[in-house]
Amino acid sequence: MLRDLLRPKRRVHAHCDIPCGIYDPQQARIEAESCYKIIEKYNGSDDELLRARCIDIKEQRAELTKHHIDVLWHDYFKPEHLEKFPNLHEVCWKASKAASKVKQTSDIAAAQELLSLIDQIDGMWKATGGPEKTRLQAVAA
Amino acid sequence: MSTERGHRRPLSSFVLRGAALGAGLAAVAFARRWLDVVEVQGGSMAPTLLAGEWLIVESRTYTRRQPRVGEIVLAADPREPERELIKRVASLDPFARTLELRGDTPEASTDSRAFGSIPMQDVRWRVVGRYWPARRIGPIEALPG
Repeated sequence: MLRDLLRPKRRVHAHCDIPCGIYDPQQARIEAESCYKIIEKYNGSDDELLRARCIDIKEQRAELTKHHIDVLWHDYFKPEHLEKFPNLHEVCWKASKAASKVKQTSDIAAAQELLSLIDQIDGMWKATGGPEKTRLQAVAA
Repeated sequence: MSTERGHRRPLSSFVLRGAALGAGLAAVAFARRWLDVVEVQGGSMAPTLLAGEWLIVESRTYTRRQPRVGEIVLAADPREPERELIKRVASLDPFARTLELRGDTPEASTDSRAFGSIPMQDVRWRVVGRYWPARRIGPIEALPG
């Protein structure tokens, strides 16, 4: 009774976007592979309708790639990882930019460059214990 | 037989008590303009403040001076203005009149690192104390800035 009387009606939020702590560069890699394949299809086709769809889908996938790269960069990597890999910021920055480039062009070399940068991020993720720390090792069915 | 309990009090006693009660209620009603109570939700201010705790906040201090680094304040979430955040002031920019907010558990806090700095004038309420749970009753001190 007294408790109800004293209970505040105003709620304030010590807010957190609930970081689930699950990270894997493969998420970015799969979207980037999609871009790569779509660019191949685009360049190998005369079908205007297919080519228009390719551009549309490629833009979506490139945006997703960029999002996944940014999440790794902003949320997964920590200052101690930067000490271990002083080029971490540069690689993530370049990868993010490469994703933008893939969004803009139909140049297969751009998609290749994006994949290679994601693989560099993957290397840093693995070397900092990412697979053990940020993926579930086993989930009971 | 007259007992202490049954003794009739003079009318003035009731008037005085009534006046005191009325003044008390008026004071509470008046104070509510700058004094309020809030419930904490979420864990980004742990271990200082835990989810479910009840706090006393006041809004007079910041009409007289700027917030200071280390104080725990309320501010509208820039990304969702109807949501009110509770965070600690991490830094101030007196020229731009902005400040940065941080949770006491930075790894589980969405704060100025995500939404940037916020205008000082948007921070009106300061946390002064906790009144629930009973075993954690007491003033909430600002950390030295």
